[in-house]
Amino acid sequence: MHGIVKDFPGLRAVDHVDLQVEEGEIHALLGENGAGKTTLMNILYGLYRADEGQIFWKDEPVDVSCPSEAIRLGIGMVHQHFMLVRKMTALENILLGMRPEGYPIIRRQEQLQQADILCQKYGLKVNLRQRVDTLSVGEQQRVEILKALFRDAKVLVLDEPTSVLTPQETQEFFQILRVLRDEGHSIILIAHNLSEILSISDRVSVLRDGKKVCTIKTSSTNERELSRYMIGRDFLASNFYREATDQSREILRFQNISLHNSEGVSLLRDVCLCVHSGEILGIAGIDGNGQTELAEVLMGIRRQSGGDILLDGQSLGRWSVRRRWEAGLAYIPADRHQDGLIMDADVKDNTALRTYYQPPLSRTHILQPSQMRDQAAALTEDYQVKTPSVATQVRLLSGGNQQKLILARELQSKGNLLVACQPTRGLDIGAAEYLHTRLMDRRNQGRSVLLISTDLGEILALSDRIAVICSGKIMGVVPNTPDLSAELLGLMMGGSTLEEAKGWM
Amino acid sequence: MDVKRKAIFTLARVVAVLLLSTVLILLSGADPIRALQAFLSGIFGSAHGFTEVFVRATPLIFLGLGVAITFRTGFFNLGAEGQLYMGALASTAVVLLLPASWGSLRLPIALVSAFLAGGIWVLFPAWMKSRLGISETVNTIMFNYIAIMLVGICIRTFLQEPGSTLPQTAIIPEDCILPLLLYPTRFHAGTILSLVAAVLAWFFLCRTTTGFEMQMVGMNKRAALCTGLSVPKSLLLSAVIGGGLAGLAGFNEVFGVQHRLLEGVSGGNGYTAILVALLALNHPLRVVLMSVGLAALQVGAATMQRTLGIPNSIVSIIIGFIVLMILCGSLPEILEENHPILRKRKENIRHVE
Repeated sequence: MHGIVKDFPGLRAVDHVDLQVEEGEIHALLGENGAGKTTLMNILYGLYRADEGQIFWKDEPVDVSCPSEAIRLGIGMVHQHFMLVRKMTALENILLGMRPEGYPIIRRQEQLQQADILCQKYGLKVNLRQRVDTLSVGEQQRVEILKALFRDAKVLVLDEPTSVLTPQETQEFFQILRVLRDEGHSIILIAHNLSEILSISDRVSVLRDGKKVCTIKTSSTNERELSRYMIGRDFLASNFYREATDQSREILRFQNISLHNSEGVSLLRDVCLCVHSGEILGIAGIDGNGQTELAEVLMGIRRQSGGDILLDGQSLGRWSVRRRWEAGLAYIPADRHQDGLIMDADVKDNTALRTYYQPPLSRTHILQPSQMRDQAAALTEDYQVKTPSVATQVRLLSGGNQQKLILARELQSKGNLLVACQPTRGLDIGAAEYLHTRLMDRRNQGRSVLLISTDLGEILALSDRIAVICSGKIMGVVPNTPDLSAELLGLMMGGSTLEEAKGWM
Repeated sequence: MDVKRKAIFTLARVVAVLLLSTVLILLSGADPIRALQAFLSGIFGSAHGFTEVFVRATPLIFLGLGVAITFRTGFFNLGAEGQLYMGALASTAVVLLLPASWGSLRLPIALVSAFLAGGIWVLFPAWMKSRLGISETVNTIMFNYIAIMLVGICIRTFLQEPGSTLPQTAIIPEDCILPLLLYPTRFHAGTILSLVAAVLAWFFLCRTTTGFEMQMVGMNKRAALCTGLSVPKSLLLSAVIGGGLAGLAGFNEVFGVQHRLLEGVSGGNGYTAILVALLALNHPLRVVLMSVGLAALQVGAATMQRTLGIPNSIVSIIIGFIVLMILCGSLPEILEENHPILRKRKENIRHVE
């Protein structure tokens, strides 16, 4: 790609970018949200047209006007949000839109074999006959890759592939990428996570504000250098200002909380935990081990099967979601699109969601639109939410700004406890750092944060104490001291209790 | 530039309607110019025609408001027809069964009972939706049939006009009908009630906390739940209010137009109302506009049929085509999305990240 330019109204999204990808390499594309990575790749895949510049394919200038043209050339793309028909099987999804040999008669057996051969060759473990909505996220991703490979893709564009994967799945996924590379495929990897880029890619191109900063060999760089290129300044790893706070008071206590689903499967087992004033309690664990359930029981979104929760010594019992908010619980949900925001509503309505029924936003059940606008404007400014206006649909904001909007709404709480689930998942470094600073500020004011995250780096950077959850059970709670070993936490995340883990160390 | 393109597109749609109408009218052997004259004079030519537009628009306004409010809350109420019948039945029964000594007091009682009957009629499907998660679309339609048959039974038994063999009730007493606003047309006070209802519905939906909750629930139930809004409360309340408004349409037809309850009192308006709500994008004030527009089409078309003998079916085709043309208002954007050259323009709008 040479001299690519793409303008959006009032914004040059991609500014004279050159990008060269060799055969058989994993090329990482690094940059903050809004740096132009996805736009650039959409141009390559024919979803957007470049305003200037030329794409070359094997030294020949080509005109990629639509995705089918890109596919014909041998370019495949796996989007961050998968493009799969959930009610069809994996194989049907792979064949969808193709005219394989024998069309229109479907020779399923033959095609199954063909797809199976691909699976074997690249080590992609998928049950092709299974319906997509019963597959795990990792498997769905493999179906997407198979889709591209089945169409003879030579270049694979992967848009933030690891953001949806658990750490283990990520490792498996990287293994697949290495096999693909060794078979002569080229891979363009859009990513945020520095350590992942360092461990998998051959070369890295860094984009910042639509311009390419550099392309370097991965082996000749390190995290510090990359993050400097990406954000244009040094990355403040975990050097937060940590004030000495009074942590003597107990704010929240989980007492033997248990939860079963309708089939009787235990999701939470006898959880006992407490959160003190002026501390960040981190809950570490691999995704899907009961973290979301714990938060939802606490917020009143789910009802526990047994046990009780005490807030400031008072039992929450069967209190409603709203009553818990009024009692001082604020919540950043893990799934911000589904749980945190109303995407079709505007910024103003979303900021008002927690407080619309109280003065000054409403008086005697009558809404005060001007007050709602003023409040939304003040909050978006305070929390640096970049939005064209408070009447803009939240759907149109970037991920970082959406998350800041939730933060702005929830921190209106005068209460003492913020529950933050995966607060920085999928965010660029700038936005993530902003979120972290705000959480730390909260702690330094003497209030508490329950931080639930699968990102161990985040937990280690912020927490005062760390609890590890596995299969719905708390394996142990340890103070976050400099000599705390990641290995100990790793063992607990894998299902050992604190005592066992210590014994093995 | 965009405004200009929009104008051209709108003009093109009007021309398309006129062209199709001309061809159809020519095929039926009539003169298109005279047909157009008849169409316009039907609407604007006489006080009777002009007021008839509002007589026909009034039930559509009530029903359209009811449907729009439930749609906004994410409750796909297709049962306006049945709610109308229940409203008509309850209000007629109240007036005919209460002692005559109550006089005009029976009219407001009838109004309230029509609202309640419509609201209660939708309560069961609404409860099944909010409690058990059973789809409301099929249930509300099924309830239409039950309501229609129920009315059929009542007007053949205890509500049947004494001494008559026809399936209809007695005439509503003189002191209980909605007053006429312009004699000798059929223009009656129900129209004013419907406009008041539209303003109230708008205020309720867009300016009260309960309306805010309903809209938020309609857009994302899960986020509403997670931020402390009561999803069942919003669903049930909007269903009851929507059903009640549809019930008022039944009251309006009995007490303003027919002055008795008979079969087919709705004329299928309960289904037309779904169209009205969709065209109005579920906005209460736009519901009024769309209802009046649709009613005007019907009135003008009826005059064409009466004076020139243009068959009813042609009129239906033209109305259908007009609705189609209104609905394809977003066609330019869809084209831009799919057409490589036009697409660039669309991208620019879409991208705000």
